Amino acid sequence: MAEKTRVGVFVCSCGTNIGGVVDVSAVTEYAKSIPRVIHAEHNLYMCSEAGLTSIKESIKAHSLNRVVVASCTPRTHEPLFRKACEEAGLNQYLFEMANIREHDSWVHPHEKKKATEKAKDIVRMAVGKAVLLEPQTEPEVEVKGSALVIGGGVAGMTAALSMASQGFKVYLIEKEAELGGQTRKLFKLYPTLANASEVVEPMIEAVKTNRNIELATSTTLKDIFGYVGNFKAVTAGPDGDKEIDVGTIIVAPGSSNYTPPKGLHEYGVNERVITQRELDQKLKNGEIGLAERIVMIQCVGARKGEIKPSEFEAFPKSDTAELLRKILKARKEEGWPYCSRICCMNAIKNAILIKETSPKTDVVVMFGDLRVYKEYEDFYRRARDMEVRFIRHIEEARPEITQTLQGKLQVSAYDALSGMEVTFAADWVVLSTPLIPSKDEIMLARMLKIPIGTDGFVMEAHLKLRPVDTNVDGVFIAGTVSGPKDVSESVISGEAAAARASILMGNGKVKTEAITAVVDESQCIGCGLCEEICPYGAPKIEDGKSKIREVLCRGCGSCAAECPKRTITMHHYGDHQILAQVRALLVPSIAQED
Amino acid sequence: MVKDAFADETMAEKGFEPLIVAYCCNWCSYAGADLAGTSRFEYPTNIRIVRIMCTGRMDPTLVFETLRMGADGVLIAGCHPGDCHYQKGNFMMEKRFDYLKKAVKSMGLEPERVRLEWISASEGGKWSALAREMVQEIKRLGPNPFKSGADPKKTDAMIDAFKAQRLRWVVGRSQIKVEIEEEKYRRTVDSIMSAEVERHMITRALRENGPLTTGELAKLTALRPSTIVQHLVTLRKDGKVGEAGQKDDQYTYKLTT
Repeated sequence: MAEKTRVGVFVCSCGTNIGGVVDVSAVTEYAKSIPRVIHAEHNLYMCSEAGLTSIKESIKAHSLNRVVVASCTPRTHEPLFRKACEEAGLNQYLFEMANIREHDSWVHPHEKKKATEKAKDIVRMAVGKAVLLEPQTEPEVEVKGSALVIGGGVAGMTAALSMASQGFKVYLIEKEAELGGQTRKLFKLYPTLANASEVVEPMIEAVKTNRNIELATSTTLKDIFGYVGNFKAVTAGPDGDKEIDVGTIIVAPGSSNYTPPKGLHEYGVNERVITQRELDQKLKNGEIGLAERIVMIQCVGARKGEIKPSEFEAFPKSDTAELLRKILKARKEEGWPYCSRICCMNAIKNAILIKETSPKTDVVVMFGDLRVYKEYEDFYRRARDMEVRFIRHIEEARPEITQTLQGKLQVSAYDALSGMEVTFAADWVVLSTPLIPSKDEIMLARMLKIPIGTDGFVMEAHLKLRPVDTNVDGVFIAGTVSGPKDVSESVISGEAAAARASILMGNGKVKTEAITAVVDESQCIGCGLCEEICPYGAPKIEDGKSKIREVLCRGCGSCAAECPKRTITMHHYGDHQILAQVRALLVPSIAQED
Repeated sequence: MVKDAFADETMAEKGFEPLIVAYCCNWCSYAGADLAGTSRFEYPTNIRIVRIMCTGRMDPTLVFETLRMGADGVLIAGCHPGDCHYQKGNFMMEKRFDYLKKAVKSMGLEPERVRLEWISASEGGKWSALAREMVQEIKRLGPNPFKSGADPKKTDAMIDAFKAQRLRWVVGRSQIKVEIEEEKYRRTVDSIMSAEVERHMITRALRENGPLTTGELAKLTALRPSTIVQHLVTLRKDGKVGEAGQKDDQYTYKLTT
């Protein structure tokens, strides 16, 4: 290193949070004794304006080129201190944090002496790493002002309209011949009992007439290249393949509806056993007739079985389709483990619809748990007021169709409330079935390299904080592709995804990860292991050498850990930088040589 | 390491305070350890956390070097299966861990010194319980033998072997689909691992003390002369070792590079 390493250590008392346990002055004095530490000081609150100013002034006064702050967790405060370094003209990656609060004072409040010694160790480790840190830059890439929306259901159309209204060019592709997705096929929507067509038709019209939206139906995504801001999508439609350049992608292909296997509750055997979806159609077409009694069974194919995490995770790249077919088939027999969220309201809606047209029909809903949230509680009460009967069965004795007599289906169940077996003769038996992930959607997710969760649906980047982001920069999700949603929730997610994508497109540029993998090409043998294990498709073998496209790399370091030639290393987390901390801890005498 | 219960007791009496290096992934386990702090879940002061982005980053040599430097225990903590921020880094670590543990054992260390655990960002309680438990366990095992002068030859050779292409390649291949039965593949890797360690013990001995005869090599490495001869044949074929001359009617060997 040409420039002499000059480390500044700033120890924080955090009021009494650290100072009440750790002897902050002793740690500061100790820090001064660590080789290459030019300056050390402590402050009541390092993150306060005074603390930050002190860091900035010290960088200048002592010509510091490495900064270590010993305070709280970097997961919350690193950005703040990094910014202070940048403001003082120091590259933000020349900063290292020593966590002496969450990992020390807060967990050892009764061992002040030991906690102080530990704090010294932690500071020494941070200095050990800081010495070897190198400046990094976050590459900035341009974001094209255009978006691809995959799926023309309610969520996809909402997203397309939102982005188009902000002036962005939107390409909307839909695999079916018509827009509207599953909603178009529905009769009425809960809880308003409005016609689905009243919701969907105006939306379809708006999409078709919007000048910023280029619509392609009967079209699917064939391939995808590029990265955030600069995707190249190849679509396959009636007029052949087409290439589109877009900055962002919104994935809204929806889900499918579970079809019970033949014979389950006599489904597919007796034509009077139907799903809620089929009942919906029959109500729309007036095909139910004057029924004496209709029995609904909840959770058919839902909240059962178990999915092993590895089932969806560890697919080899080849054989995906074949494996997926097997898993979906097994799930069809066993059922899906999650609650599909919308079926209870849907059953109540259809029960109310039946009661409204034919009040004398006895409607019985058999359930294990009835889950009606928000204002749907009123909806449920309304059904009860209309004398829809709700019968709770216990899990061990799910309803069964015991026999068929004179065209009537006899349904038996154990009523948990009365503690007796109850039997009903029904004209129709309606099965409430969950929304499930479909093969096409999972294949699409894999093409885009979005992870699939343990329920088989596409996984959000963060369940709570980033619900429409994916782990792939520039790719967002909307609608039921990430799990069951009703129409209003699909609209919400469509709007949200559009807003997230618009932030990128509006800024026109984005900074990507600085902590990326880098290949020493002179040592690379082009074996391709990195290409096969990378979840993001960042490495690519070209001319017998691995080339890592840094905008695709997220910095996990798996390739570096596996590279047979050890020719891949990580920015900011190199082996030598990681081991420097350990060496500083365990053999400080060696660490301090050279 | 042969140790008896008595030794353990004296260790405990002397108040042995182990030093455990915990490699925590940034997204789950580091945050889990943070939460232990926020929740004031106390645990012993023996753990030092090193933040890494993902357990998938953990090159086995990092663990070996940490032990070689004298850590009494090494903990690798990552996200639960399915929760990895990078999709499958923890799965890769898990695959690697089997080999890693075997390697630690063959170095003459107790495999219990190395642990792989899943701690989520919401499991502060689990983190502090794990810390307590591991400190207890390492106290029972006693200090890292390298600190009291145990022979590190095999460990150094293991680090060399895990830095070299052949072993890395077969371990790395196990991350992706292998055409043969998994158990069979594991056995293959195991046998390659032990052969590679022995070869690196030989090359190390030659580098530090060469040229040497087969007999001298056997003495230095504690390997059987017949094993040495076998490896020398391979190493000569690979062009890594050559004949240097003769001594007491025997050939001596040296490194060619």
